[in-house]
Amino acid sequence: MSSETVTNNNKLKAKDFITVGIFTAIIFVVEFACGMLGYIHPFIVASYVIMIPLVGAIPMMLFYTKVQKFGMITIMSVLIAIIMFVTGMGFLGAPLIILAGVVADLIAKSGKYKSFKKTMFSYGVFCLWICANYFPVVITAEDYRKNLADGGYSAEYCNNLFLAINYKTIGILLVLCFVFGLIGAVIGKAVVKKHFEKAGIV
Amino acid sequence: MKLDPRTKLYMILIVSAVVMMSATTPFLWAVRIIMTLIPIILLVIEKKYTSAFGFTFLYTAALVMTFCFLSESSSSFFKTFVTGYSGIVVQFMPCLITAWYVVRTTKIDEFMSAMQKMHVPDGIAISLAVVMRFFPTIKEEYSAISDAMKMRGIALGGGNAGKMIEYRMIPLLFSCVNIGDELSAAAITRGLGGKVKRTSVEELKLRVSDWLLITAFTAAAVVFVLFKYFL
Repeated sequence: MSSETVTNNNKLKAKDFITVGIFTAIIFVVEFACGMLGYIHPFIVASYVIMIPLVGAIPMMLFYTKVQKFGMITIMSVLIAIIMFVTGMGFLGAPLIILAGVVADLIAKSGKYKSFKKTMFSYGVFCLWICANYFPVVITAEDYRKNLADGGYSAEYCNNLFLAINYKTIGILLVLCFVFGLIGAVIGKAVVKKHFEKAGIV
Repeated sequence: MKLDPRTKLYMILIVSAVVMMSATTPFLWAVRIIMTLIPIILLVIEKKYTSAFGFTFLYTAALVMTFCFLSESSSSFFKTFVTGYSGIVVQFMPCLITAWYVVRTTKIDEFMSAMQKMHVPDGIAISLAVVMRFFPTIKEEYSAISDAMKMRGIALGGGNAGKMIEYRMIPLLFSCVNIGDELSAAAITRGLGGKVKRTSVEELKLRVSDWLLITAFTAAAVVFVLFKYFL
């Protein structure tokens, strides 16, 4: 529907802001649902980099079909940073989240928000925001460990968590995020094609 | 009692900042618990008894679990599981209660005019307002979808993870996109995103109660930081 509307001015309108708001809410619900699983075992915390890019790809690919102007993905990343702060995740990750958003926006823009290849890379970069959740674990490791122990987590949980996430593995996690972002983009695109294009929503 | 949205946002800010710092002594725990009690009392004042009671019950239960029954040596699967969840409840409940209170008692137009007064760019303000309004909608839509699936006997998508996600996500996205279109039509009718500066029926003013709360929360945050890092 919105793909026919040719936009000659690049200013964002109220409709675009509302679209951003809705999809941010959906992405956050996906993140939250996956996040709840992480308390079962610390290795699941590390596997967020696989789960969230794959599951989140479906709403994000639908979102990408509605993006035609610069700024929408950036605003989304700012909103995610705000929500992360409000829900008690801290602000250490905020720069990474917003940076990922801006770069993702620029990549998608270079493809005029149409080229699927660019969209794929853009989503891969955007997924790096997930690693921002690990920043408190990596940067303030000692403090965080004490925090968890005080919070009543078992020593085993702590050990496993720090085994899975530390400053050595964070690089691998970032790469995984990106790779599964690319895979997720392909799956998400297929799902969007299967369901939404047939129904005429896109 | 009516509070200014700016006071409420300040409350969220302080609570999330304090929750991030670990409470290590009983005194710090006390400060944190008192801070959590304030939004609960506010909820009671707003006559939201059910949610106030629910939150109090959950928070107390999680606190008791964390302090009395579980320790670092707990190792069985069940115990780890319970600890994980009480840990998360204790950690995030204060934020959740405050956020819940703010979302439940702030009208969107109040929120918008507060944002305008704080000179937040339109894009962020509108999107944030939509996010705020949208969580209850997602919950409603999701339960409607679950009901519909139960009626057709599709409970878990046949144990296939991909199907499970697909069966829930796709209908949800469909309804969200439609609701979004309606929402933007309604918003544009009300002049959102116009070139003229919007005015609001509600005059926002910081009253005595606002200043009291701001002082209380600032004091709590200062005390927390002082006792944690300097004393």
